[in-house]
Order: sequence, then C-alpha cells, then structure tokens
Amino acid sequence: MTFAPGAFTVRNYVGLWTLIKREMKRMWVVINQVVWPPIITTVLYVFVFGLALGSRIGMTQGVPYGTFLIPGLIMLQVINESYGEASSSVFQGRFLNHVQEMLIAPMSALEIVLGFVFAGIVRAFLIAGLITALGVLLVHVGPSNWGLYVLVVALVAILFSSIGIIFGLMAEKFDHIAIFTTFVITPLVFVGGVFTSSKFLPPLVQKLSLFNPMFYMIDAFRFSFTGRSDIELGLSLLVVFGLACAAFVAALTMTAVGYKLRA
Amino acid sequence: MPDAIQIDGLVKRYGNFTAVDGISLAVKEGDFFGFLGPNGAGKTTTINAIVGLAAFQSGTIRIFGNDITRDWRTARPLVGVSPQEFNFDRYLTIRDVLLYQAGYYGLQGPAVKRRADMLLERFGLSGKANQFYTKLSGGQKRRLTLARAMIHEPKLLILDEPTAGVDVELRIELWELVRELNRGGTTIFLTTHYLEEAEALCRNIAIIEGGRVVASESLATLIGDRSLQDVFLDLINQERAGAQVR
Repeated sequence: MTFAPGAFTVRNYVGLWTLIKREMKRMWVVINQVVWPPIITTVLYVFVFGLALGSRIGMTQGVPYGTFLIPGLIMLQVINESYGEASSSVFQGRFLNHVQEMLIAPMSALEIVLGFVFAGIVRAFLIAGLITALGVLLVHVGPSNWGLYVLVVALVAILFSSIGIIFGLMAEKFDHIAIFTTFVITPLVFVGGVFTSSKFLPPLVQKLSLFNPMFYMIDAFRFSFTGRSDIELGLSLLVVFGLACAAFVAALTMTAVGYKLRA
Repeated sequence: MPDAIQIDGLVKRYGNFTAVDGISLAVKEGDFFGFLGPNGAGKTTTINAIVGLAAFQSGTIRIFGNDITRDWRTARPLVGVSPQEFNFDRYLTIRDVLLYQAGYYGLQGPAVKRRADMLLERFGLSGKANQFYTKLSGGQKRRLTLARAMIHEPKLLILDEPTAGVDVELRIELWELVRELNRGGTTIFLTTHYLEEAEALCRNIAIIEGGRVVASESLATLIGDRSLQDVFLDLINQERAGAQVR
C-alpha cells in the first residue's frame, strides 16, 4: 500500500471549503429527499409512540416516556442522515464521474475526506437541531447538557459519514448503499435503545446490547437530555470516539490509495 | 526550459493486461502535439496517468519539470483536461461548474468570477449560465468541458477527443479556439480519431498502438509527401504484425 506524499496534509483550504459548499448545495437541491422525510417520520414517531402510547407507558429511566424518546429519535436520524450524506454523494460522484473534478485538482485525500465528513456533520446538526426544536414544541423537552449534545452528535456524524465514504467507495450500484442501512443501521438502532431502556430487556438481550455500538451512542446522547444513562457515560463516549477514529482512518486510507477512484 | 510533458518508461497494467507498455514521450512547451492511436491503444490511459486519475506501476511523468507523483500540488494546477466523456456535477449550474472547479484548484474571488463569465461569453454559454448541464445540447456540453478545463488558466491543455460527436460548424469553431489558445502560449496535447484534424492542427505527432509508442516526430518528418492516414495505417499494421511475432 503506497500513499502519495502529502496525501494526509491540509493546504488547499479553498478546495476543502469548495467541497463543503458543494455538498451543502447538493443537500439544498435534494432537500425534499433528505431533510423533510426524517422530520416527518420523527413527528409521526412522536405522535404515535410519544404522545399516544407514551402516556400509558409511564416513567422510563426515571423520566416521562416522551422525554426518553426524543433523544433516541434524534440519534436515529443523525445516524441515517450522516451515513446517507456521504455514501450517496461519494457513490454518485464515482458513478457519474464528477468526482474526477476533485481528483485532478490539487486536493489531498485528507482534504477530500474532511470535506465529506464535515458536510455529514453539518447535515447531522441541521437534522438534530430541527428535531430538537420539535421536541421542545411537542413534548416540551430539550437538552440540559449542550456540550455533551454537541460532542455526541459530532462524533456520531464523523463515524457514520466515514462509514458512508467507505460504502460509497465500495458500492457498485445504489442498492449496495441501502444494504448497510437496511441490514445494519436500522436493526441495530432499533434494538439499541431508541424506544426502550435496556433495563426493560431480558437479561440475555441486555448483555447482547453491550456488543451493539448504537446502544452506547444513544445512551450517551440521552444523558445530555435526562442526565441519566444505562451505562457509564465515560465508557460510552470512549466507544463512540474509538469507532469514529477507526472509521475515519479507514475512509482516509481507502481514499489515499485511490480505492475505486483512481484506476 | 523543462518540457511541458516528459514521460519516461511509463507502465500501466490492469491485472495481467498491459495498457501502457513503457512509453517515453516529450512535449515541448508551446507545442501543439497530437497523440494518436486506434481505440484501446492506451491514449486515455496515458492521459489519466498524466492528470492523476490512474496510478501506474513504473515510470515517471513530469509536467513542466514537476513530478506528478511527488510534486502533485504544483503539477496539477499546470494542467487542464477536457475529458472524452462528460463528467459534470449535476447539482451545479453551468456557471457554478466553472466556479467550483476553480475552487478545487484553490481559486476564488472576483477575479475567478470574472474569468468564469468571460469563458461563458467566449464559448457562447452566457445565456445558459444559471441552467443545469442536462439542459445543454451536445455541442454546448463539449464547449463547457473546454471552458472548465481552462478556468484555472493552465499552461498545458489536454484535449481527449474534443470534437467527437460534434457537427462540422462547431468542430471548425473549436479548431480555431484551440489554435488561438496555442498562439497565446498554451501547450496543447490532443487525442483524436479524426486524422485530418491532427494533420490540420498539430506540429508534432506521436502514434501509440498496443500501449507502445510506434512513432514520435514532427508532422512534416512523419508523413513526408504522404497523407497522415496512410502513414498511420502503415505504422499500426506494422506494429500489430510485430506484436504477433513477439
């Protein structure tokens, strides 16, 4: 495995900013596909699970169910959106060849990966912010620890944008991108504590949850709202940070060797 | 003065297939250079190696003295490429295609905007500036590839089949445009299947077949009193016969 000298440097700040702007422009063009659907889905979840069923569930993790639910829903959409942002953009760039506009320019692998990851972070915060506002409006719930809120959203967005880049590079057709969402993200998020505390699960499933990375993300993020968690906050942050670093390095390495980018 | 392009012993393999087999080539600054060969001869692969779209197994490529592997940050801005296939960003308007390409080269500000507007004007695309490329005709798309290749004022312009699929009128217009650029000092590296085009435009020619350069000299020396087409076909046939023996 050989890397071009300077593949891991950042010098072309204008190029990096241009890529971020381009991703924002793309998001704006496809806003009906990428921004409104997660918001509408979340509103439906809040009405059906939070307001209709939630009133019968009672306290969960020591807080009303609506308060418990909102941070889980935010994580669900942050994960989906940051993955979707990077994976579809990288894949489209390869499929339609416009990624070549960047590849022929003096942009390093690190600048390209940072551009896609930063765009994923922006989209994650946009969605998280909108759903947080909905939470305040609909169930009168908001975060109490903004520092932790920002940290977890940023780490999760880095993790799933990086995974999005990896799958965007590996995919041979659009279906391949959906495979990760359908068979990995959705099941793991749903059993990872979006709707229920792990304490409600049978003991064996509780133990299995410890192998589910989504469990740590959702639990740490929920702490920023409720001040409570099923697992030690430090451990959850360490797991999310470690996974984010590993995924970022993998995405960077693949880009630096030109995997499915440079023939 | 370093050559605009200096290729030494370039080898590019895809698995067991050798697409470019140790070619060496020099293109002088200010030259109008034709790089000719049949389909699959290795022209686009060579171009991709020059512009950084293809990694290669051995050899060196220098652009105005800058090694494209080691000094890529310096080398890449010196080259503009108009690819054979349209590869525009479908989320950008025509004007933004130029401005964002300039941005990737690290350029922004009023001067770049003025240059983008100047190029749009020069290529007859001003009226389409705020439209997406899917609204352009084939000829307009071809002109946009040239405008995009020139947005960062490269000293070397690589044109990969720039007149493929365009009508006679536009072809003549494009010829005049690249001649004008060349007169202004831009080195042109042209691939084309239209041999009369190469004969009309190029001062020096290289012919590639089976990944090997079979001729590289001035047009006048290469063809003498024959047509380029006759010389081209003879060289290709000789190389193919030689390859069978090898």
